[in-house]
Amino acid sequence: MEWIVLLLAAVLLPVFPLSWIFNRLIGSAPGPWGRALAILVLPQLGVLLLYHTGPLALLLLPLSLQRIWLMLVLFTSVFYAFRAVSAREISIWSRLMASSGLTLSWLLVANGAQVHSVALFVLALSLPAALLMIWAGMLSDRMGGAYLGLQGGLATVLPRLSALITLSALALVATPIFPSFFGLLQVFHRLDLAWLWPLLLLLLIWGWSAGRFLQDLLFGIYRGEPMVDLGLGITWAGAVVLFFFALSGLIWSGAWTGI
Amino acid sequence: MDRNLTLGDRLKVRSMIYVASEPIPRFWPMRTFIHHNPLFGLEHLPFEEAVEEGCRLFNGRGYLPRQHYQGYRREGKVDDSALRRYVRRFVEDQAVDLPGIDVDAWLWTLITECSAERLIASHDWLDGEALAAVLRGRSAKLDSRVVIEGLHTLLARKIAHDGPVYANVDRLFGTDIGSTLNDLLVKSCLDFFDEGQSAWQAPGREQGFYFAWKKVAWRNVRFFLRGLHLRELLASSESPEGVIAQILVLLKIPEESWQKYITRQLTRLHGWAGFIRFRSMAKHHYWATRYPADLTDFLAVRMVLGLALLQEAARHHACPGDAEAVQDFVEQDPFAAYLRLELYGGTIMPGWAQRVDDALARRSQRGYEGLALDYIQAKLVHEARQQAQALRELARRVSPTAEEALKTLDPTQIEQFLQILRNWERREGFNWLKAMESHYITDLVRKVHLPESKPEKRPFAQAFFCIDVRSEPMRRHLEALGDYQTLGIAGFFGVPIGYLEYGKGSEVHLCPAVQTPRNLVVEITVELNLEEEPLYGALEHVLHDLKSSVLSPFVAVEAVGLLFSLGLIGKTVAPVTYHEIHQRLHAEKPSTRLLVDKLNAEQADSIIRAVQRAMIVRALGKELGVSRDRVTDDEVRELREIVLGHQEGQNSLARRLGLAAAAEAEFIEKLRTVYRVDRQETSLQMERIGRLGFSIDEQVRYVSQALLSTGLNRNFSRFVLMVAHESQTQNNPYESALDCGACGGGKGLPNARVICAMANKPEVRRRLAENGVVIPDDTWFLPATHNTTTDQIDLYDLDLLPARHLLYLERLRNGLAAATRRTAAERMPTLGATGKLAEDPYAAAAMARRRAHDWSQVRPEWGLSRNLYGIIGGRHLTEGVDLQGRSFLQSYDYRLDPKGRFLENILSAPVVVGEWINLEHYFSTVDVHHFGSGSKAYHNVAGRFGVMTGNQSDLRTGLPIQSIYKDGKPYHEPVRLIALVEAPAPFVLAAVGRLPKVKALIMGGWLRVIVLDPEDDYRALVLEDGEFQVHPDSGRQQRLTLLEASA
Repeated sequence: MEWIVLLLAAVLLPVFPLSWIFNRLIGSAPGPWGRALAILVLPQLGVLLLYHTGPLALLLLPLSLQRIWLMLVLFTSVFYAFRAVSAREISIWSRLMASSGLTLSWLLVANGAQVHSVALFVLALSLPAALLMIWAGMLSDRMGGAYLGLQGGLATVLPRLSALITLSALALVATPIFPSFFGLLQVFHRLDLAWLWPLLLLLLIWGWSAGRFLQDLLFGIYRGEPMVDLGLGITWAGAVVLFFFALSGLIWSGAWTGI
Repeated sequence: MDRNLTLGDRLKVRSMIYVASEPIPRFWPMRTFIHHNPLFGLEHLPFEEAVEEGCRLFNGRGYLPRQHYQGYRREGKVDDSALRRYVRRFVEDQAVDLPGIDVDAWLWTLITECSAERLIASHDWLDGEALAAVLRGRSAKLDSRVVIEGLHTLLARKIAHDGPVYANVDRLFGTDIGSTLNDLLVKSCLDFFDEGQSAWQAPGREQGFYFAWKKVAWRNVRFFLRGLHLRELLASSESPEGVIAQILVLLKIPEESWQKYITRQLTRLHGWAGFIRFRSMAKHHYWATRYPADLTDFLAVRMVLGLALLQEAARHHACPGDAEAVQDFVEQDPFAAYLRLELYGGTIMPGWAQRVDDALARRSQRGYEGLALDYIQAKLVHEARQQAQALRELARRVSPTAEEALKTLDPTQIEQFLQILRNWERREGFNWLKAMESHYITDLVRKVHLPESKPEKRPFAQAFFCIDVRSEPMRRHLEALGDYQTLGIAGFFGVPIGYLEYGKGSEVHLCPAVQTPRNLVVEITVELNLEEEPLYGALEHVLHDLKSSVLSPFVAVEAVGLLFSLGLIGKTVAPVTYHEIHQRLHAEKPSTRLLVDKLNAEQADSIIRAVQRAMIVRALGKELGVSRDRVTDDEVRELREIVLGHQEGQNSLARRLGLAAAAEAEFIEKLRTVYRVDRQETSLQMERIGRLGFSIDEQVRYVSQALLSTGLNRNFSRFVLMVAHESQTQNNPYESALDCGACGGGKGLPNARVICAMANKPEVRRRLAENGVVIPDDTWFLPATHNTTTDQIDLYDLDLLPARHLLYLERLRNGLAAATRRTAAERMPTLGATGKLAEDPYAAAAMARRRAHDWSQVRPEWGLSRNLYGIIGGRHLTEGVDLQGRSFLQSYDYRLDPKGRFLENILSAPVVVGEWINLEHYFSTVDVHHFGSGSKAYHNVAGRFGVMTGNQSDLRTGLPIQSIYKDGKPYHEPVRLIALVEAPAPFVLAAVGRLPKVKALIMGGWLRVIVLDPEDDYRALVLEDGEFQVHPDSGRQQRLTLLEASA
C-alpha cells in the first residue's frame, strides 16, 4: 500500500520517470485555463496523498532507499531544468520548470516538514506556473502560438502582457521576494551541506533558463503584425495576484523563520 | 592540401577584395568624426537605385515607414499635388486594365490612410487563385504537385548556392555560427586595432593583422576549448590571400561566385570593414603605419574562423560542411529543409512552431512530407486570409463599391493587381521623399528675399561664420541687434592646414576630409616652460595611470577611489561649479602664437639648431644631473657638433665633469637615439620645416579667395571677425561630430587665427590692394570661436589688437553676449526647456552652459540635426528670414567670380561636405539601427577609435538615436539637401559641367538643386528627374502678382 501511495505521489509531485505522466496530464488538459487548474491542483493532491492516506510513505522506506529516492528527486529537478533551457513555448517551459521545482518538495517531506509547509511550497511554484499557462493562452490568441524567439522585442508591442509574463517567470525561478525563493531557502535550510551542491547547480540552470526565456521575450526588434495588448482590467488583476503572491511570500517566510 | 598561389592569383584575390569593398564607406576614427554618406560607395548610381542596392548589401532600410510620412502630411510638410502627380505617373506606366478598379484611388488611399507598413506582405505561397477564393468567401487550397514545384523554386531563392555556407547552415540547423563568428572576429579586431585603451597589448602587431592573429590563434586556448581546429587551416597557406583562396575551394564555392561571396562576407561587419578600409588608405594615421592591416587580412581571419566553426558544427550537428553539401541536403529532403528554414529563420507560424520543433527533434525516419504539406496548406490559408483582410479594409476606405469590384476580378487580374500594389510599395518611400522635398522647395522659393537697392553703410563689425546650420540663428540674432554684417564661409576659411598644437605630439588636419593640407602650422607658447607641470595635472596623470594599469585596480579602488568619487559627485550634482573649480586647478593654457610665415633656409637651420641645443640641455639635466647654469653655450655647441659627427674627440664638458670615456660615449649615443639629435633626423626635420607656414603669395591668395568668394571686396568695417566653431560636451564619444565638419571634425580656431594673421599683415594688404581689394588701415581681423553648445562667442589674440580698437571692444563684446543669450533662448525650448525660458534669455544661456558641463547629458545640443537647405548666394536672400537653424549659408557673389572658379570650389568642397552631412543624418534617421548607431545608452568606446553597442558588436558608424529622434519620433526630417545657387543658370551649369563628381551627384539625385537666376527676373529653376523646371512661385513679376492677389 505504501508503495502505491508513494508511486501515485511521485506522479503528482513529479519524480522521474513518473514525472512523464504528470507532464502528459498537464499538457493534455483542455485550454490554458485547464492547464493552469491542473498544475495548481495535481501537486496539492500529491501532498494530500502523502500526508493524509496513512503513514508518510517515504519515511517508511529503508534509509538507503530513501537516499536513492532523494537522489532521483535531485536528478529529476536538474533534468527538467536542463530540458527547460531549450524549451521556447511558454506553457511547456513553465510546465518543465514547475516539474523541476515541484519535485523538490520531496526534500522537505524527507526532512520532516509539516504538511502546510509542503503545501505552501508546492503552491509557491505552481501558482506562477499556472499564471504563465494563462498568459501563454493570451499570447497564443494574439500571435497564433506562444513560441518565443521567432519575433524579438515583444515587450515593445505587448508591454503589459510581457510584464506579466516576465514577473510570473521570475516568480517561478525563485527570484527574491517571491514565495518560491523563500520556499527554496527553506529547502536549503533543512538539507545537509553535502546535498547542497546539486541545488546550487539547479539554481545556475534556472538562472540560465530564465535568462534565455526573457531574452527571447524582451529583446530584439519586433517586425511582425501589430497586436492588441491586454486590457487594463486583466493587467490589474494579474498585477494584484502577483503583488499579493509576493506579499504572502514575505509573510510566510516570516512565519517559518520565526521573524 | 596546400594550394600554391602565383603572384597573379594573389593579385586576383586582392583585386576581388578591392572591388568587393568599394560599396563599404570608410569610417574615420571617432576623434575626428567625419559625417559621411553611408552609401558613398554607391554614389555612381542614381539615388533610388543606390538606396535599393545599399539596403540589400547592408540589410538596412532606405525610407521611413509610411506612418511617419503620413504624420508629416498631416503637419502640412508634404506637397499633395506632387504626390498625386507621382501616383498618376506610376499608374500610367503600369498599362494594365483592371475592370472596375480605380487604381489611382486605391493607391492614394493606400498611401494616405493605410497605417500598416506594408499592405502586400511577402508571401511564400499566396497566388491569385487562393486570394480570389478567399475574397469570394471560399477556402484556399493548394495542389500538392504545385507545392513540390514551388518548393524547389522557393528553396533555391532562400538557400542561395553562392550565399555564405555558414549562413545557410544557420538557417537550416539553427546553429548560430554567424553571430559566434562575428563575436570571435570582433574580439580579434579589438585586440589588434586597439589604440591605447588596453593595458596589455596584443603581441606581434608590427607584422600586420593576419600574421599577428595567426601567431596567437596557433596557441589560443579559447579556440581550442571551443573545439576549433585551426592549425590545419592556418598551415594550408602562408599568405592571407592563399588562405582565402584555399577556404573558398574547400567550401566548394564556384569561382565565378567568389566576388559576390567576398562582398557578402565583408558587409556583415561593415563598420569594422569601413574602419580597416580607412586605415589602409590613411598614410598619415599613426596606428596604421605602426600596425598595418587591410581588408585581405580581415577577410582571411574571418574565413578561417568561419570555416573552423562550420567544421565544428558539422561534427556536432551532422550538418553539411560545404556549399555543395548544403544543396544536396536541400534537394534530398526539400520538405524537411523548408520546415527547418521556417523554424530557424523565425518565419514559421507561431502556432506550428512547437509541432515542427518536436518533429525535427525526433528526426523522423518517415520523412516530413505529410507535416510539411499540412503546414504549407495552413500557411497558404493564413497568407490568403491576412491579405484578403488587408485588401478589404483598404477597399472600404477607397469607395463603397471597391470591395465588390475586387471580388469580380479573376485570379490573373488579382495577381496583376497585387503586383501593381507591390511595385508601388517598393517605390512609395522615394515618392514620399520627393513630395516632401517639393514642399520645402516651394517654401524656400517663397521665403527668400529678392535684393533691393539700399544705401551702403559701414557696419560696426563684420563676422565670417562657418556655413554650418548652427551659425544661422546666431547670425540672425547678431544682425538683428544692430550694425553687424555676417557672411558664411566654410569653417576652415578656405585655408587647409596641418596643425601641430602646443603640447601635442601629432599633427591634425584642419580641412575637409577630401583635402590633404600642404602647409603645416605650429603653435608656439610665448611663456615657454618645458620642465614644470602643474601639481594638479601631474596628480591627475598618476591617478589615470593607476586606473589603466593591470594590477593596481585591486588596491587602487580602496586607496584612491574616494578621490575619484569626489569628481563623480561634483560632476553630477553641480556640473558648472565643478567645471569652474577644475579649470582653476588646471594650469591655464599659456599665450601662444602661430608660425604662419614660411621660413627661409637660414631660419630653418637656426630653429633646428635651437631645438637640438634645448634637447642637449635637457639630456644633460636628466641623464647626468647637470643643470643649465653649470653649462656654457660653447660647451653645448661643441657637444652638438660631436653628436652630429662634425667634430671628434672628447668634449670639454666631459673633461670638466671628469666623465669616463665609456660614459661619455654612452651619453652621446643616447643623444642620438633617445633625444634624436643626429644627422638623419636633422635632414628629416629640415624636410618637415619646408612644410611650415605659408609664402606671401599663398597668404595673399588665401585671403583674397576668402574675401572675394564670399562677395566682400569693399566697405570693410573696423572689426572683421573670423568666427570658427566648436562644441563643448562631457563624456561624449561623438564630441567631434558636433565640431566643425569643414575642419575634418576638429575645432576651427587655428584656421581662424591663421587667416587673421595673414589678413592683418601689411605686406598682404598691400598686395591685395594692388588686386583691387582695399582693406582700410583701421580694419582688424580678429579670430573668435562660436561654442555651438553654449552659444558663447569668445575672442582670441586680443593682445595683438591695436590700441585704437580697444575703445570699441566693449561694444563688440556686449553685442556678442546679447546674441548669445537670444540664440540660447531660441534653441533651449527645442532641447526640452519650457516655453517660458525663451522669455528669459539669461536663464536660457545658463541652461545651455549647464548642458555643456553635464556628463550625463546624452543630448547636449542637436548638432546638425534638421539640416535641410544649402544656400549659396548673398545674405540679402535670407537676411531677417527665420530659417530655424536648418540652412548651410555660403556667401557668394557671382559678379566677383567671372570665371566661375569660386563657384567650382564651393560646389566641390562645402556642397559635397554638406551632402555628406545631410545624408549621414538622412540614413541614420530612416534606419537608426543599421545606418545609425542605435541608442547611446548601450554604447561603449572601442579601442579609442569607435563605439560598439554592448561589450562587442560591429563598430557603430552613424549617428545615435538621441541626436536625431525626440520622443520616439524623428526630430531630423529625412530629406535630401536642397541647394539653392544664386547665379545665372548658364553660368552654374557650366561650373557644374566642369566638375564630373558634382555633376554625377546632382544628376543622380543625391541632392536637390535650385538655381535662382538674377539675370532672368530671379526665376527659380528646380532640377527634378534630370530636367530644370521653372518654379511657378518664383520671379519678381510673379511675386508682385502674388502680393497683389493676397492684398
